[in-house]
Parts: sequence; C-alpha cells; structure tokens
Amino acid sequence: MRPIMRIGTAAMFFLLLLAKAESADKAAKTPETCGEYGTTVQFEKTPSDAARKAQKEEKLVMVLHVSGDFEDPDFT
Amino acid sequence: MNALANPEVGKYVEKYFCSSFQRVGTFRIVGKQKQGGNVATYFCAPDGRVLHTIPGPVDAQTMLREAKWVVETAKKGIEVSKGDGAAFKAHMRKAHADKLRTEHGLVVQPVTFDPPDPKDNTGPLTYRDPSGQPLAPVLPPTPIDGPDVKFLLMQERSAKAAGAALIRDGKGRSWGLNNQGRAHHLLAAHCMGQIERLYGSVFEGILGERITTRPVEVVHPFPWHARNGKQGG
Repeated sequence: MRPIMRIGTAAMFFLLLLAKAESADKAAKTPETCGEYGTTVQFEKTPSDAARKAQKEEKLVMVLHVSGDFEDPDFT
Repeated sequence: MNALANPEVGKYVEKYFCSSFQRVGTFRIVGKQKQGGNVATYFCAPDGRVLHTIPGPVDAQTMLREAKWVVETAKKGIEVSKGDGAAFKAHMRKAHADKLRTEHGLVVQPVTFDPPDPKDNTGPLTYRDPSGQPLAPVLPPTPIDGPDVKFLLMQERSAKAAGAALIRDGKGRSWGLNNQGRAHHLLAAHCMGQIERLYGSVFEGILGERITTRPVEVVHPFPWHARNGKQGG
C-alpha cells in the first residue's frame, strides 16, 4: 500500500510542477496588455474613478474621448 | 500605430497618470459600413482641468513626447507658481503659446486672465447635439500675431500635415495648422479650463466630429428597402 501512495504523491507533485511551468510559460508569452482593450494602460471605469485615484496617488489624469470603436487600433 | 499598446508609453502613463475613457460622439453605420470615429486624449489635473490635449490618433512616439511634455511643464509650473493657481494657469498657457511658436511657427499672445463667463450654453455659440440640445460652448482662441520667421520651416511643415486647417491671423492672412498646432492655439487661451467646457472645441472644433449623447446611429442607405423588408418579414 505504501509504495502505491508514494508513487501517487510523486505523480501529483510532478503534475503540479508541470502546471506551474506551463502557466509561467503562458505568462511570458502574453503581451504586456491589460483588460479587454489590448493596451498597456490600465483604464478605470469612469473619469471620476480615475480622478479619485489620481488624487490619492498624486498623479495626473488621462482621459480619452472616443467616438466609434475603442478597440479599433487606428483610434489610439 | 496603436500608441497605447506600446510598452514604453504604457510604463510612462502608468507612472504619472490614472486613465479612463468616455464616449462623446457617435459613428454612423450606413448599410454595413462604419463611418466616422475618432479620439482625443486629455491630460488633466485630478479636478478635471485640462493641461493638454492631443486631438486625433497619434503614434507611440508622439504620445510619449506629449505626455512627457505635460508632466515636465506641470512640474515646472508647480515650482514657479509656488501654490498660486493663477500663476500656474499663466505658466501653462505661456507654455502652449511657446510650443505653438517653436513647433508650428505661429506667434500668439497667451491669455493669462479669464474674463467673467456668463456660464450659459444656450446662445448661438454652442456645440449642440443633433437633437439641438446644447452641450458645450464654442471657445474663441487667442488672435494670431503672425509667423515667427525663426520657425518658418516648422510653420510650413505644420501647414502641410494631414488634417491641417487654415486659420487667419490678426492681419487677415491665412496660415495652415495641423491638429496639434490648433490644440496649442486653443490651450494658449483656455488651458486649465474644465474638460466639459473644452471638449466641444476639441472634438467638434478641431476634429470636426459631431459631439452627441446619442449611441451609434444606424442609417440605411435605402430606407424604403428596409421598410419593405420589415413589411415583408
């Protein structure tokens, strides 16, 4: 019974390592973009949210005004 | 082409700015084709006063250059004004007038004092929704003195840029100015104005896009065809 348990634990450990390596590989391949917009900039939900955060973090605010499709790369 | 997907731009913007976006205009769907659509970037103080704007889409290099310019200029303004809001505003407007002179070759006198404002959007000088609802005032830019001969080459380059428009100076002469030059021209008089006051003059005045509160406008080129289709269906 003990050898079977040992083999089982070793197999589990190996699978965990494999999963970890796979996720690290995936992260390395993922471009440095955020959210659903494919940009490297994090967007707050509203300009008011961005302003509140900016005040707290002593930063400025960047607001994009768009007409049309924000996900169109030609716009930004 | 997509400036905001550039890692260098992202790193800088994340360091100095908190960002968000708003839809202020519509695009039309005629048949199955999309028409119109544009973007304007505003760099603001946390209370919504505009320090700088980039009308229209730009490349990563331009976005980074303008973002760095506004951060450095604001830093210097804080240092020079020593907590005096009026001095800070004057510093920013002078900086825009200076950038207009050195990068676009035109000379303007920055407006460092704001006259009393009627705060009324109901007059004829108002950008309106297609339904007629007043949205933002039309802001008059400061008069242009003329070209700076030292930067005549920059003026010619700006005049030849895509989207350049003709504007008249105080003597009635016409000068071509690209979108970024027109933004500096506007901000030499209205920098540190609230974004809700300025956006009409940027989005409609400079970019020529209609501002609206309406969502996407769907237009059928052959409405009778669509009607018949509906009746038939």
